[in-house]
Formats: sequence, structure tokens, C-alpha cells
Amino acid sequence: MSRFRRQFFIGIFLLALASGLAVMAHNRWNPALPNYAYFTGWVLLAAMILLALYNARKRLPFLPLGNSETWAQIHIYAGFFAVVLFLIHLNFRLPTGWFEGTLAWLYALVTGSGIAGLFLSRVLPRRLATRGGEVIYERIPALRHALRQEAEALTLGDQTKSPAIAEFYVRELSDFFAGPRFFWPHLLESRRPLNALAAKLENLRRFLNESERATLEKLARLVRQKDGLDYHHALQTTLKLWLFVHLPLTYSLMIFSLLHVVLVFAFSGGAR
Amino acid sequence: MSENLPAPDFDSQRYERPNQAWICGHAAEGSPCRSGPDNCGRCRATAECVPGLEKPAGESKGRWRCTRPGGACETGPLPDGSCCRPISKCSPVPTLRTRRGQLTRAVVTATVALLLICLGGSWRGNFINPGELSTPHSSAAFAKLHTGTNQSDSTCAACHKAGALGPNGLLSAAWRAKPGPFEVIQLAHTRPGEMTAIDEACQKCHPGHLLHQPNVVRDISCSFCHQEHRGAGPIAATTDAQCALCHGDGVSMAAAAATGASLQPKNGTTTDSRPAAGFTQVLHRFAEDHPEFRVHTDKRRDPDTLRFNHARHLTGEAMPMLPNGQKLECASCHQPNATGISFRRINFEQHCQVCHSLQFDPETPGLTLPHGDPSFVSAFLRSLPRQYADFAARSGLTTEADRKQFAQEKLQRLQARVASGEDFEERVFFSSATTGPEVQVGSVRGPSPALYPGCAYCHAVKSGAHGKAEITNPVLIERWLTHGEFNHARHVSVACTQCHAAATSKETADVILPGKSSCAACHSPQGGVVDSCTTCHTYHKKARPLR
Amino acid sequence: MPPAPPTVERPQRWDAAFDPAMTEADVTRLLAIPPFNKMLPAYFPKRTPLREILRHDTSIRHYRKGEIITRQGDYGTSAFLILSGTTRVVLKPDLPPALLGRQAPVKKGIFRTLAQFWSGRRQPESYSRAQLRPNAGVGARQNENAEVHVFLQDLPRVLDQHRTEEMAAGDFFGEIAALSRMPRTSTIFAASDTAELLEIRWQGLRDLMRADNQLRQHINRIYRERALASYLRATPLFRYLSKDQLDQVAAQIEFATYGDYDWSGEYKRLAQSGSVRPEKEPVIVQEGDYPNGVVLLRAGFARVSQKFGSGERTLNYIGAGQLFGFDEIAHNFQQPQSPVSVQHSLRAIGYTHLLIVPTRVMEQIVLPSLPKNELPPLVSLTTETSAVIPDAPTPRAAQDRIGAATLEFLTANRFFNGTATMVIDLERCTRCDDCVRACASTHDNNPRFLRHGPSSGRLMIANACMHCADPVCMIGCPTGAIHRESFAGQVVINPVTCIGCKACANNCPYDAIRMVDIRDEHGDFMVGEDLKPISKATKCDLCVENHGGPACQRACPHGALERMNLNNLATLTDWMKR
Repeated sequence: MSRFRRQFFIGIFLLALASGLAVMAHNRWNPALPNYAYFTGWVLLAAMILLALYNARKRLPFLPLGNSETWAQIHIYAGFFAVVLFLIHLNFRLPTGWFEGTLAWLYALVTGSGIAGLFLSRVLPRRLATRGGEVIYERIPALRHALRQEAEALTLGDQTKSPAIAEFYVRELSDFFAGPRFFWPHLLESRRPLNALAAKLENLRRFLNESERATLEKLARLVRQKDGLDYHHALQTTLKLWLFVHLPLTYSLMIFSLLHVVLVFAFSGGAR
Repeated sequence: MSENLPAPDFDSQRYERPNQAWICGHAAEGSPCRSGPDNCGRCRATAECVPGLEKPAGESKGRWRCTRPGGACETGPLPDGSCCRPISKCSPVPTLRTRRGQLTRAVVTATVALLLICLGGSWRGNFINPGELSTPHSSAAFAKLHTGTNQSDSTCAACHKAGALGPNGLLSAAWRAKPGPFEVIQLAHTRPGEMTAIDEACQKCHPGHLLHQPNVVRDISCSFCHQEHRGAGPIAATTDAQCALCHGDGVSMAAAAATGASLQPKNGTTTDSRPAAGFTQVLHRFAEDHPEFRVHTDKRRDPDTLRFNHARHLTGEAMPMLPNGQKLECASCHQPNATGISFRRINFEQHCQVCHSLQFDPETPGLTLPHGDPSFVSAFLRSLPRQYADFAARSGLTTEADRKQFAQEKLQRLQARVASGEDFEERVFFSSATTGPEVQVGSVRGPSPALYPGCAYCHAVKSGAHGKAEITNPVLIERWLTHGEFNHARHVSVACTQCHAAATSKETADVILPGKSSCAACHSPQGGVVDSCTTCHTYHKKARPLR
Repeated sequence: MPPAPPTVERPQRWDAAFDPAMTEADVTRLLAIPPFNKMLPAYFPKRTPLREILRHDTSIRHYRKGEIITRQGDYGTSAFLILSGTTRVVLKPDLPPALLGRQAPVKKGIFRTLAQFWSGRRQPESYSRAQLRPNAGVGARQNENAEVHVFLQDLPRVLDQHRTEEMAAGDFFGEIAALSRMPRTSTIFAASDTAELLEIRWQGLRDLMRADNQLRQHINRIYRERALASYLRATPLFRYLSKDQLDQVAAQIEFATYGDYDWSGEYKRLAQSGSVRPEKEPVIVQEGDYPNGVVLLRAGFARVSQKFGSGERTLNYIGAGQLFGFDEIAHNFQQPQSPVSVQHSLRAIGYTHLLIVPTRVMEQIVLPSLPKNELPPLVSLTTETSAVIPDAPTPRAAQDRIGAATLEFLTANRFFNGTATMVIDLERCTRCDDCVRACASTHDNNPRFLRHGPSSGRLMIANACMHCADPVCMIGCPTGAIHRESFAGQVVINPVTCIGCKACANNCPYDAIRMVDIRDEHGDFMVGEDLKPISKATKCDLCVENHGGPACQRACPHGALERMNLNNLATLTDWMKR
């Protein structure tokens, strides 16, 4: 069995085992311990801190704190386990009240964005690798700029005297080369926009003479390269964007959680 | 696939630095400057180089030299020592990661601000309230009682001391909570149902803690059973687990039994129905270890003196039809009361008289003895001529002579059947014979007349002083279960006889209440009907006496 | 008047002498003894006169009895000449590692480790002047003034349990490691209390050899003698041979060197013109020929290929220590009635140094010594056979497991050279740049690699130093700034002595060394007194100073990045199937 698969099975097994034990402990202790909610709360908070420590590990790469991969695996499975702990802490009941409702929603959003991120992190790289080509994200604007320069030199420059191509570029392609395009089609793996452009280029072909056709070939190649660049831009942006939800909300969640602890103890006495 | 993407052209002098927070604004055009933005995102570009002053030994002035990487430029530095090739300033671009950091800081700020607003304002109570209070505790009346205002927002402090505190107060209150946040051992060792700080507040309005049986050995926190903040309406119902805290615990029950034993002789706090040891059997579920109803275990008998045979009335073959042609059934007499929970009290006029009409003269249907005080009956019998005359008047005889005539005839016939007036009165009161026409003093219309052998047929009749007949008042017991609440209305789908053995009960003394097993047939996990303690019992109410 | 640019002294060759304590008197004394007294100063180029070489590239070291001079397995960059006294070389069995006093390299202490937490805001490529000052005592690894000598405590016992050989005044040793950049083959310790040795760093030795014919021949001779003896002893093929037999084998073994010692320049030129083709590589053994002998790769790499269509198809590559042609000779030995020819071609990639055990020697001495079950299976002309040592994957298997395209990709780009190649699995990599950031934070906020590079399928070889088995970058460094770390052999650059000459960067066939202009703490570019920018060669140092290993690999959350030894394909094939 390969390492990833073994990791997966071990992770799932441990997750199921831990969840089962947690639910058993819940059934055993929930009726018996009057302060049960405090304990599940502390355990949940500890789990959340463990999850948040992954970020700290990322910030301290120079310390021998173990592999980030190990941490990520722990983060993933502990994240799922924390959902079980969360439900146990909630006693399998939707919280009422503004504060606790918001807290629960934050938790759900952080977990949900994490799961979405996990999904994206597993799916999108595969697609990027399948598409081929590789580009560093920060380089994309420069490459796009270079492509645009090249395309404009090809179509609007002095050496090419083809009004048809120049007109076509201004009408159909200038916007395409101006910035990242077709975010959603790329994300949804649709080639329709590219095919539409290719069809337009093909359509133009019959109006051109031999030398203009050579220019058109070069232009078509630039269009394909730009499309590939957009593909990378769309997918790599998505790979980074989910963290825009996951991380800020984690901080909010932590603030809410700490306040929750304070409030619960300040208002304690009779809390069940 | 090489044409998929343009090959990036990497400068051999430069690393890609995703660790830097800002990117040179010229990078998008593919020509980032050499210096790059500083850590705060400010452009640092000035010129292509910083010329250096070369001062050969012995010379005083020296000359400026270009320090550009990749060879000096053709023009060289300007005379004042500045570079001749200034770089246009850019506006550095934050990396996506930097933007994420900015967003994170914004969200944190917004969160803190939101919390400060919500916690600082008058809306705090609503904001941190973990759930709506029960209706009684969220009423304006409650608010008025506790805060003197009608605003129910600020009533947190009525129960929670921290409700009135500011931010610092909350922190220190949290720190000083009993048990505190980090007193894990105390948290673990708290016994279920222990009194809490909140109970003091409860007892302001609900004083005393002796709401249950007097032999309860420890005070149970109100909130152990009554959980607040669980939504509007009545406060949440008590669960079996909460009852089981004591009733499911052998130690508690033993202690309660001991306490109960010491209480009993001292003061009359216990009722008749209370067993010697109190209600201290350990129990968890109704179907499993709830004891048989005491009405059965004690083999209670109905103390009523009225003689009544349920079996005969329900199943007797000679039982006549009711005037409306219907057969006699349970509901003919046991009519639900207004709530439907229980039944109206049985009384003679409504439930018995229709058959048992007290017609003492077989020949005069319609003339009946009065029911009630036996002295009235005596008086009635001693004024028979007058009664017959009145009866004649009621039947439509208009003249005085006719009425006298009618009374005269009736009396003569009656005298033919009895030895004397005393004998007749004696029979009316004491006869209980059920067969033979000679003993029959009255009948009703219908195919099979109801018998009126005499009062003693149903009642316990004694001869008292001066030969006066005395009738023992019947005792009608409405409820036999003194601790359980039974709601007949909820059980209308079940036939009466399915629980009550009326069809076989011949004696008045039979208590025809169903046993526990009959209830548990439905009220059990197998039966599928709710079997929680509070289905039948209430906690705080004392047991009612039998009546 | 604008401010003058910050200046710092420009480092020069011999700015940092190998041993500052070397005096003119020492040099004069050395010039009076052999072999230096026989050298003709006139043959030396003007820029590197003999006297200056001795002055700057040598050091006189004194050892007491039992002190270890070189350790087996160490990467050393210097050779030793015994001036007086005696030393002993450990022959068999090897000394246990503990006895060799193996020490971890200088790891960052707790304060330096924690200080990296706030070094994240530092300017790129910034150095303080104190950091760059030569002879400041910091970071000058080449300067071994603070000598730590490890000695064998129980010398009689070592002598009792291990066979050793005495070496006396005039003997050279360590030149194998110094010149071929291979780990030291044996441990040598002082055998007398007054052992006096002249340590010559390899740059000096190189220059000496260039100028003096006699020394060159002398060194070549002892090089062969010693290299062979210890090397053959460690080769599994010969493990059943007695000492006499081994001597016979050693006497008849042939040496061969293919390719170019400075192959990388040629390769870069070819790679840039896009004409790297296996057909142009020098052939060592031609497919279809009579097997002349078993080829034993001593250093470098060779491509195993087979005719396919009108070209050649790469089946595998083999590196140091691997055999070629063994199967065929074993087959012919077992079945002389149906001999087979060599089934594959072997071509040198870059610089290849190899030993050839002639067929006759194999048949007479080696093959009879092997037990029957250790002989390879007979060559079947229809199926592929193992052209490498028995426990390695067969060529076809290697190709099957990672795919022909990938194998071709690795070979064409010479990636097999790497012992710590940064391999990225593009199907796992989320392009999060955690690896680059981790690298930056362990290197004063400077990344030391580029998360980009040639890719084939899901495999990308990032532009990071691969810590080559054959580190061509180290050829030609004038100051020895680029060197192998003594313990694990990582190739590192000492920024203090780097003079920014670009020799290493130009040598590196993978463009893994980048020349950066350095700045001061305020982010201003430094210039030398000649008013030209100071640049330094920088590259991945495999986090040699950090705890826990390469930060990039540890920082990858998805297990997509691995520093991998590509000298043989086993690791890669396992990793691809992980």
C-alpha cells in the first residue's frame, strides 16, 4: 500500500476511533458530571489551540518542530475530530442566543472553509499538473504583460501591415490580453471561451493572405499561452483565496471563544 | 506541451522572494528595480546606482564614478555626484499574502469592535443571553420585581451577579468563579445537583427548599431540574435522569429512609398514605423497578357502605334497558367532568333514580319516596293521604272530592298489603329482599322493573334511637392514586374495562383499579408510550388524601 | 551631495590564507625538503609562484600519537604530506563511528535559532560589515586555527583489533579525496608523538601538480595504489576473494576515464543549443560487442541504453559503485557453448571514471569464488536483463516504474547527479510557497532556491542546489569558499571568502548558484573600493546549520517536496508511488 493511502487509512481509523471514544465518553460522563460542559469545552479549546498551532509551526520553519506534512495531517484529522468535540460540547443541539449562535456559525465557517480548502488543495494541483506548464504566481502579471506586448507588436506593430488582423486584435483580443480573464470557466474546467476565440481566429483566416496567415498562427499561439496563463491564475488564486476565509475567521473564532470562556465562568453557577 | 505557457525568464541575479510583503510596482511590466520596496511597502527606487567618490592619493577633489552593476553607464554621474539615470517611482503592490494579512487584521479589528459595542451597550443582556428565558422569568412583571423597571433586558443581574459587572468585573468574576476556570479537580468533583450561587437568587422568590418529601436528605439545586434559557414557554420539563439522581441512587434512598424513620413520630408531616419507610425504593424506569401501586400492595378495600355490584350492572342479563332504550354502560353513570381528567361524582338523582325510582306503591307509578334524609321519608310515609292527594293533583284531578276519593282508594289497597303503618315503614327502611312479589313495594315502567325492596337494598340502614332508621352516608372515593396524576381524557381511546375489572367486580369493596403491569403495557419502552416520571408524578405537590 | 555608497574591502585570492601562522621561515624550510626542493620555480605561473602556494595553501600541523588526521567517510579538501614522524592507516576492519569522534557540524545555537524569529524583516541579502570581515574568526570554516584533535584513547587495542599500515616521511595521502572530491577512503592517525604533517588544500595541490611533472606522476601512482586497494576491498563483488586473489585482481584491473573533467561547461553549451543527445556521448561499451570485462563505475555517471528505432533509448543510468556487463560475463562463464554479446550500450555522461575487470580475471578468479546462488540469472535474449549490480532494479524495471519520458528527462538534464535534488510533485504541490518562505526564514530572510525548474509530467526539479555527487561547481573556486561540509558532505559557500568571481555559478550545469549583490543593514548596496558592487555566490546549503534538516522539505504541508538522492532511481520510484 502506498504511503498516502496508508496515511489516509490510519487517519480515518484514528479519527473513527477517537470519535467513537469521545461519543462513548460523552454517554458515560454527560449525565454523571454536573460540570460536563466545562470539560468538553476545555477539551474543545485545547483541540482548537492544537489546530491553531499549525499556523505557529508555519511561522517557525527554522525550529525542529516536526514536518509540516505531519502537522498538516494532524491538522486535518484533528479538525474533523474537533467537529465531533464541538457537537458534543453543544450536546448535539443548536445553540440559541446571539453570542453563542455567532460563535457556532464562526466555527462552522472555519471548519467549512477548511474542508473546502482541503478539497481544493487535493484537486486543483492535479488539474494544474495535467494542464502542463508551470508558472510562479507572482510572475503572472509580468508574463501577461510580455504576452500583451508581443501580441501588440505582432498585430499593431510597424512590420505587420495587416489592417484585418489589427482590427481583429483591437475588436476581439485587446480586452483578452489586458488582464486575467475567464476565471470561472477555468475553475470549472470549461474550454468554451478559448474555443470561441479559436473559432473567431479560424473565421478570420479565410480573409487573409499567406503572410498574414503566418502572423495569425503566431497570434493564435499567444492566445493559447495567455489562456494557459489565465488557467494558472484562476486555479492558483483559488488555491490561495480559501485561506482568506479560513484564517481571518479563525482569529475571530479564537476571540469569541476566549470571551465565551470568560462569560461562562463569570456567569457560572447552574450552568449545565 | 511546451507552448502551454511562455517560459518565464528568470534573472540569474535574483531570487523570487515570496517572503517579501511587497512587490515592486514595475514587476508587472517585467522590469522590477534592483532595490525593491522596503518592508512597509514604500518605493525605495532612486536611481540606477549611487555614484562613489574616487579620490586618488594627493588629489583634493576626486571624481564621481558610476557603481552600476553590470558596468558603468556611458554618461556617468552628474557633476553633483548624483546618478544620471533616475528610476521612476512606483507604487509597490502588496502580495496576496500581505492582503490576506491586512484582511485578517481588519477582521480582528472588526470583531473586537463588534464585541466592544455589543458588550458595552445596553443590548449586552440580549447579546450574551444563551437562550430565551422561560415566560415567567422574562415577563415584565418579573423585571419589575427585580429591577424596578419594565425593561426585561437588564434582569441578568437578578440571578447572575456578573450581570451587573463591567468588563473588568467580568474577568475577575470569571477568575473567582467557584469552581474557577482552572480548578479542574473541583470541577470534576462537584456532585450533581449541588447548590449553586444562582439558587440564592431563586430562593428570593421561591423560598425554602422543602418542596418535596420531608425526608429528602440533601438540597438539590433548582437548576438541576429546571434549566433556564431553554426558550420561551414554561420552564423546561424535568427529566427522568434528574429524578434518578436521588431515586436511582441506593445510598441516597437509604439515607432518606433513615431520615424518614426519624421524622415520623415527631411531627405530623407525613400523610396516611405514606409508607413507613417513605418512598425510598431505588427505581430507574417505570416498567422495571417502579413498585406496584400501593392500592394493590396494601390490598385496599373500598370503605363505601353503599352496596353496588359493577358486574351485575354491566353484564346482568335481567338488566332492563334505560328509558331511552340504551343498554346500561360505564358512561351511563361515570360521566367525565369539565376537564375530562376525572369524573363527576355519582349521585342518586342523576345516575340511580332513572332505574331505582323509589316507587313504594306498585300500583302508583310516579309516586316516589324522597331520597336523602330518612326523617323526610318517615314524614312522607306518615302523611300518605296527603301525598296521594298531592299526587292526584299533579296527575290532573281537579276537584277536592276526586282527590280525596283517589287517596282513599290508594290507602285502602296499600293497607290490604301491609299489616300496619309501622310495618310498612319498617319494610321501606329495612327490607333488602330481592325476590318475591310480597316484598316488592314498588316498580317502574319497563319490561323488567327495578326493584325497590327498601332503603337497605343499597344503603346500610340501622335502627337508631326511638326506632328511628338511620342511613350511613355513602363514601365515594374519587381518586385512589394519591401520588400519581391520572388523566382519563388522555386515555379515551382505551375502553374502560380494559383497565378496570368492572365486569367481574361483585363487591362494593373491590378496588377495580388497574395494576402497574396494565399501565406498563403501554407506558414502557416496549409499549412505546412515554414513561417518564413526570408523566404521572409532580415533584413539589404533596400527596392528596383519599377522598 | 548624495551620500557615498557603503564600501567594504574587496576579497582577493589568498586574502584568507589557509594557515595565517605560516611564516616565511616555514616556507623556506619546506623548499629545502623533497619533493619541493626538486620543483622548478620557473615552471610555475607568475600569479601562483611555488613560494606563494606553500605560503598560502599549506599548513604545518603537529599531531601526537593516536590523534586522528583523516577519518574515513569525511569529505576532505586537502591532502597531507608527512614531513616527519609516522602515521598509520587503518585497513581492516573499519573503525567504528564513535571511535572516529563524529561530531555534528556547527549547528545554530538556541539564541541564533530563536533570533531567526525576528530576522524575518531583514533586508534581502544584507550583511553587516562585521560578518564580512576576513579573519574575524566567524564563519571562516577554512581557517582551522581553532584545531580540535580527536585521538584514539586505547591505541594498543585499536592496533590489536585492526590491521594497520605504517606511513612514513615523504608519503602523500588524502589526495584522492582532495582531488576527486570523493569521501576519504580510510582513517589515518598519527603513530608517533612528533608527527609533523603538511596539509595542502586542494587548490594548492592542483596548482602544484599543474606545474610539477614529477609530483603529478607520483601522486597518480600512489593515488592508484591506494584508491584501488581500499576500493576493491569495499566492493561486494570481491568479498569472497582472499588477499592474494585480491592482489591479483588489483594488478590486472584497468582504469579508464571518459568524458571531460570539466564537463559542465560543455554540457551547458550543448544544453543551451538544445543538442544534448545520447548519441554524442562517448561510448564506453557498445551494444553487441564481445564483453571485454565488467565495468565498475568509480565516479561519475553512465547511461545504459539500447538501440530503438534509429536512435537509442535510455533504460537506466548507473552511478558510482555500480557494475555493468556482469550478467553477460556470468552467462558466458556458465554456458560457454552459447555466449552472448553485451546487451546494452554504456555511455559516459559528463565525467566518468571507471575500473574494468577483464573477462579473463573474472572467469579465472572472481566468478569461481561466488556461490552459485549469487550468480545473476542467465541472459535471455528475449527478456531484459540486469545490467547493474544484482540488488538494483533492472533497467527495464526502472523505466517501467517511472516511465520512459521521466527517465529520459532525468538523464538528459543530468539530474541523477544530485544527492539532495529538490523534487516537487506537481500533483500535490499547492504552490503555497511555504518551502520558499521556510528557506528564507532560515537564511536571514533570503530564499536560496527558486521554486521553478524543468518539469516532466508531475515531476518538477526545482532550481535548488542538488549537492551533486560530482560537484563541478567546486572546480575552480580560487579561494575555497565553496566546499563540502565535513560531516555530511553538503556543498556550502562561505560568504566571507567568496570573492564573487562567478566561477561556481558558471560551472553549475543546473544554474543552481545565483550571484547576488549584497547590501548593508539598511538595504543599500555595498560596493568595493573599486566602486563596483560586491556580489556573492549563494545557493542552497541544505540547512546545514539548522536543526531538523532542510527547512523546505519540512515546511511542505502536502508532502509534495522532497530532497532526494537521485544517484539511483530506487528512491524516486518509491516516492512516485507513495
